[in-house]
Order: sequence, then structure tokens, then C-alpha cells
Amino acid sequence: MARTLMRFTGVGGQGVLLAGEIFAAAKIKIGGYGLKTATYTSQVRGGPTVVDITLDDDEIFYPYANDGEIDFMLSVAQKSYDLFKSGVSEGGTIVIEPNLIKATDEDRKRWKIVEIPIITIAKEEVGNVITQSVIALAIANNFMKAIDKETLKDVMLSKVPEKVHEVNLKAYDLGYKYSDEALEKIG
Amino acid sequence: METREIISTGNDLAAIAAVDAGCKFFGGYPITPSSEVMHTISDLLPAADGVCIQMEDEIAGVASAIGAAMSGVRSMTATSGPGMSLKAENLGLAQMAEVPLVVVDVMRGGPSTGLPTRVSQGDVRQARNPSHGDYRSITLCAGSLAECYTEVVRAFNLADRFMQPVIVLTDETIGHMHGKAIVPTVEEVKKGIVPRKRFDGKPEDYFPYECGGDEPAVLNPMFQGYRYHFTGLHHDRRGFPTEEIETCRKLIQRLEDKVMNHTDELELNEEFMVDDLEENDVLVIAYGSVSLAAKEAIRHLREDGIKAGLFRPITLWPSPAKRIKHFTDKIKNVLCVELNIRQYTEEVERVSSRLDIEGLYKVNGRAISPFEIVNKVKEMI
Repeated sequence: MARTLMRFTGVGGQGVLLAGEIFAAAKIKIGGYGLKTATYTSQVRGGPTVVDITLDDDEIFYPYANDGEIDFMLSVAQKSYDLFKSGVSEGGTIVIEPNLIKATDEDRKRWKIVEIPIITIAKEEVGNVITQSVIALAIANNFMKAIDKETLKDVMLSKVPEKVHEVNLKAYDLGYKYSDEALEKIG
Repeated sequence: METREIISTGNDLAAIAAVDAGCKFFGGYPITPSSEVMHTISDLLPAADGVCIQMEDEIAGVASAIGAAMSGVRSMTATSGPGMSLKAENLGLAQMAEVPLVVVDVMRGGPSTGLPTRVSQGDVRQARNPSHGDYRSITLCAGSLAECYTEVVRAFNLADRFMQPVIVLTDETIGHMHGKAIVPTVEEVKKGIVPRKRFDGKPEDYFPYECGGDEPAVLNPMFQGYRYHFTGLHHDRRGFPTEEIETCRKLIQRLEDKVMNHTDELELNEEFMVDDLEENDVLVIAYGSVSLAAKEAIRHLREDGIKAGLFRPITLWPSPAKRIKHFTDKIKNVLCVELNIRQYTEEVERVSSRLDIEGLYKVNGRAISPFEIVNKVKEMI
């Protein structure tokens, strides 16, 4: 595979870090290289947070995504979206939480903006807001086809405590369900 | 050497390495971006017959680690730049009294409290001489996840060999990045441990600071029948304060010579794609996380037909002076890339006797990208 660059952005405390670790571990498991880096501010909660995920068959040295080369971004906070969207390549995909982010018409011309209410799904359908990280994982993988669906699921389960396996499985499946619908719409 | 794969962060790998290398004590005060070293080792040490204590501040953190080391065990602390500043006085004490100790410094933006969550290499110059006085700091710098492990192991071995603190510099990028590291097995690490020297004669014949002109002190564990005095003052062969002219001169000269006469045991470099470099090609000098961007840059430059290579010191202090000069004598275009302003470039200038070394520096807490290096190289040639 060619190098895959993904970026997850939110605000501190939302827990977007885990998805990155799962991606990296899954790619390494199937044979290859995966790196996750996180950039955050000194605010404990509420500062813009960005997680870069790089996956490749060849060794990766530089761990950050170069601006302009990112294939896929997922964002759950307006200020993070505004700050980091410019890193996404033209025509790249940006998944946004429509209840928290407004994309401009210009943005919609430049990128494929996909609206999936990730936080609402986590809160209302799964019943646990923390599972947004796993919903995001499933969505990102469905768009990027980076890792085999079942392999990624297994690695995800190995990274979360057993008592929350069930809710995270539900979150993972819902992530796929909503992104399948979004993909269908795009065509 | 037998190896294994660990998927983790640089900070966690540093903690795992310490425990595998036989560390039994960690005293510290968590500070961003090094906190995970302490979080992880606080889980690991109690299960490995060790102790981890969160002290009241940075100063007490290093002081407790020095005390533990004097009891004979391998001991460590971890911090970031502001903590290094606070620990400086005690690091001087450990140099003077010759106490082996590992200090992991996960660098962040400075000076002062600086940019707590952002990457920097601003502590490179400080690591050379954290406190006043004459001594030679041994400073290693991890340039990959695997080296967060291997350099911590090496630091413990060097600390016991040279009987002094050894600083391992990492930075926010490497400390927090998460991926695959291929590291030696625990058995391999254990095989490489050479225990600290010990005096086995009669207690009345024990003179810990009476040793060859370029040898370290032989400090037996305290409270095991061998008595000596411990001080930051100039001291005699038993460790008691003295102002005797020759004793004072010899002591400080020995602190210098015990390191500088044995740099061959310390030097470690990586030379990446340098074998085919000729006079008009490009040598990049970088260390730590910046070398990751430099390697990507070199790949891109070579695709564009520009021959470039990387020289990366892993032991920063004492610097690999001869090896740097070997390259700077041969290659015209030399570029130092650092997340500070000229902190190692000045050393390269010194050892190469050249004032035309190019530099690319960044001090805003952000990483230097491969493309910035590519563009800089293209400007140079």
C-alpha cells in the first residue's frame, strides 16, 4: 500500500488518542509500519488536539503528517477543524460532527465534507460518549480501507477493558453503518 | 542479538528499559512531557522488587535517586527542561561525589516553563554542563522509539562504568509517538550488565576516592560495613573535605580524564546514506527526533538526484569530534538541523574549525518537516 495519512482532531479530553493507537497496532500486526503522534496544548481540557496516523508498508521515519498530504480527517470540534483542515489534500475527505462543526461553502468545494453525528451516536445510540473514539475508528477505516475490518476490530477489542467490549463492538458496528450510508450517498 | 517487538511510546519504552536494566528506584516529580515515564515505572517497579516515589518537587526527586544509588542499586529520575534546571545543583553533587544515576530529560520548549506540550531540543547545551564546575557530562540522545529503550539501558551501564550521572535526552515528539520498536530481549539486556566495581578488602583499607588518574571512584553500597564520607566539597581519598593543593588538583583532573581518556567507550553515531558522499554533496547533521525528518528529507533529495546523507550523533556529549571532522573535512555543504538555535552547530563549528556550517533551526514548539529540510538543502547547493 502507499502511505496512508489520517488526522483526527478534537479538543483535549474527548479521547481521540485511542483510535490512533489502534490503527498503528493493527497495521503492525498485519505486517508493516504504523505511527501515531498527538499534539495538544497545555490546557488539560478544551485545547485543540490533533492526532496524526501514518500507515505504510515501508519504514516511516517522520511521524507527523505533512500539511497538504493528508488523505482523511475526522473532526469533532469547530476550533480544531478550523485550525487543521488546511492540512488535508485537495479532494480529500473530512468527516465532521454536524452538531458541533459548520463547514463553509468553500470548504465543501475543496474537500469531500461528510457529516456524521458521531457524538450524538455515541451518547444516544451506544449510550457512552467515550465510545466516539471507536466510532471514529470504524468510520475512518471504512473510508480509507486501511485495515481489514475484522482485524481492526480484534485489535480494538484487545485495547479496551473486557467489561466494555460490548459497547465498543456496538460503537464499531454503528461507525460502519453510518459511514456505509454516507459512502452510498457520495456514490 | 535476540530481539523482540514492542508497540509503545518513547516514554513507556524508557520506563520498560530501566526496569529491564535492573533499575530498582525511581524518584521524581511528574512533568509534561515526561510524566508517562513515571506513570509507567510506578506500575512496573513494585512488581520488580523496586520502589517508585513521587517526591515533593524536582529537587527532591533527583536527591532521592542519588540516595538510592548510594545504597548500591541502579536508580533513575525523569524530567523535562524546567526540572533539569532545578536538579542542576544535585547533578553537580553527583558528579563531584561520583554517584551513578540515569536522568531522562524529555525536552520541551524553554527557557523557563516555556511550551510544556511542545517539542524542542533546547536542553542540549544545558546537558553539557547542568551545574557549575569542571566535569564531563555524558549525554545520550535517542533518535527513534527503539533508542528510547536501548539508550536508557546503555545509560545505566555507562553510569556504573564511569560512576557519574548519565543524561538521556529525548523529546516530546519521540516521548509521545506510538509505534513499533525492535529492542533486545530482557535476557540480552541482563547479559550486558556489568555490575558496579566493589572493594572487597578490609574495611580499614577502603579508600573509595583513591584510584588511577583516569579511573572512577569505587563506591561500595552504604551501610554494608565500608565507611566513607560523602560531600560536594573537594575531598580526600576517604571523602573528607580537604583543601590540600595536590589532592584538589588531582581530583578535578581525574573527573575530566576518567571521561575524556575513554571517549572510545562512549561514542555512538548513526551514519545514514553517507558512504557515497563526495565533496560537493550534502551532509546533514541532526540528532533526536529531528533526524527522523532528516531521513525522510534525504530520501526525497535522492529521488530528486541530490546526493545527501545524515550524520547523527547518539552520544552528544562528549561529542564525536574526530568523526565530525572526518566528514566536515571531506564534504563542503554541511547543514545542521536543530530544534534550538545553534546549540550543537557551535560544537560542529568548534570541532570542524569551520565557520561556514549552514543551519536550519526552529524554536516555536513545532517539528521541522522533511520538506523544510529539502528546501533548505536546495537553497544551499
